[in-house]
Amino acid sequence: MNSYSLAAIAFTLFSIAAAGFLTCGSLVRMLMFLELMLNAANIALVGLGHNAASQAYAAMLLAVAAAEAGVGLALIIMLASAFKTLEPENIKELKG
Amino acid sequence: MEHLNYAASALSMPLLLVMAAFACLLLPLFIRPLRGAQGLMALGAVLVALTFFRLSPQVEIAIFSGALLINPASSYLWAFALGVLTLVLALSISKPPFPEESGSEYYFLLFMSVLGLMVLVAAGDLFTAFIALELLSLPLYALAGIRRTKPGLEAAYKYFMLGALGSAFTVMGIAVLNSLYPALTFTALKAGAPGPLALAGFLLVISGFAFKTALVPFHMWVPDAYEGAPTPVSAFMGAAVKAGGVVVLWRLFSLFDGGPVREIFWWLAVITAVLANLAALGQTGLKRLLAYSSVAHAGNLAVAFFGGRRGFEAVLYYLPVYAMATIGAFSVALALEKDEKGPLIEDLAGLAKTRPWLAAAMAAFMFSLAGVPPLAGFFAKFYAFAGAVSAGYTGLVVIAVIMSAVSAYYYLKVTVVMFMKPPAGDQPSEPLGLIGIVIALMAAGVLLAGVFSRPLLSIAANASHWF
Repeated sequence: MNSYSLAAIAFTLFSIAAAGFLTCGSLVRMLMFLELMLNAANIALVGLGHNAASQAYAAMLLAVAAAEAGVGLALIIMLASAFKTLEPENIKELKG
Repeated sequence: MEHLNYAASALSMPLLLVMAAFACLLLPLFIRPLRGAQGLMALGAVLVALTFFRLSPQVEIAIFSGALLINPASSYLWAFALGVLTLVLALSISKPPFPEESGSEYYFLLFMSVLGLMVLVAAGDLFTAFIALELLSLPLYALAGIRRTKPGLEAAYKYFMLGALGSAFTVMGIAVLNSLYPALTFTALKAGAPGPLALAGFLLVISGFAFKTALVPFHMWVPDAYEGAPTPVSAFMGAAVKAGGVVVLWRLFSLFDGGPVREIFWWLAVITAVLANLAALGQTGLKRLLAYSSVAHAGNLAVAFFGGRRGFEAVLYYLPVYAMATIGAFSVALALEKDEKGPLIEDLAGLAKTRPWLAAAMAAFMFSLAGVPPLAGFFAKFYAFAGAVSAGYTGLVVIAVIMSAVSAYYYLKVTVVMFMKPPAGDQPSEPLGLIGIVIALMAAGVLLAGVFSRPLLSIAANASHWF
């Protein structure tokens, strides 16, 4: 597998995930698409990188993605118990 | 040797923050009397950290193989970050914005966020900047919802989702750039005109940082996050997070002498100036108004970029001036707030009669944000726009000045309500305590930094040469 096909996979995955993030109507699914986006970036880092630093970046990125999922899931649990729903259109205390 | 000493004492500031953060988190678990006193511990630690501040020698010291650059610019911004932290701690101590049992987490998260800001402004390469950005943002998502009430949680999830989307863009951009510039340092990124792939990478990274700086159209989270978050946290978001984003955006902007990236910044600045100021006109909540004002000021900072070196000098002067006015205004909101969404603008009615000093200070903040001489906000805007004009971007500045005039309407509206409208009934006026001290300091700050703008401006000018 050459780096072009890896790049193509990464970009396709990233676009699918970004589109899914913006259109799906549930917070848990949004979080999953978010992780998918970060993983696409990880594939791009590993697949397109030239040196050991890129691989190290990928390892660090995994940690960042885990931290992000942790904070996100904690927020989602609190939201579920406060609002009894996980659909963004039903969470409307503020004007935005 | 002398420089090594300097680097050691400069690095003690973030290291002390780490130690203080863990002390605030863990010590109260074992030592019962410390529970409830975490705020004082935190404030003490920051005051100790400030004693390690030294005037930077005119050199750049690269540490951790170039991941961090310690130079006059980063030490200027570190002092700024610690200053903002001190003020936010004072606000948090006087009116704790968290449930009683979460004191430890609150200060831990706040310290970690400031640490992220300090690394971000000193980052020597793009990946360090990304990690620092995450360290800055992740604690803030949790801080926004720390009260676990409905508005707070809604603010937190909106901030989290859009912030994380921005991070995903940034990291995808970094992955693309990494294939073209293996070193990823800001100096390596400067090599020549970028090809289409590099351009795509730069645009992804820029849009990610634009989310943090809250440039339109990446600002959707700002009003809700500022309104629902605890007021001291909103003040921190406005003053500090923006500063971090702006510094990295400047470093990306200054890689290009022309071409599509500059054009995109031009449009970002124009759209931000127009939309943010128009949206602010219709706001009724004070915190929402300040949120849109923060977006509008991000637009002014983007305009300042076009002035090149002089523009960045203006940015470095603008950041503390804006921070003083916005922290002051949020402190007034905190002093008057009865529920967590903060006071409405009409709740300020008759403040001039009931609490004249508070009203006078609030008027000073509003005039400074609007840019009325002789307050500091005027000089900040003046230098920001003057640089862009002398670089030939007159059209951009004309739009920015017109929108700035529009902004005067909503800032003056607040003042008019305070001074012209009768009070809505008896309001018990609680003593202000530390909030009062913060407000007084900030009011003195916006006045003095305006009337005597030379010292701060010359420090900013000296620092601006390093990025």
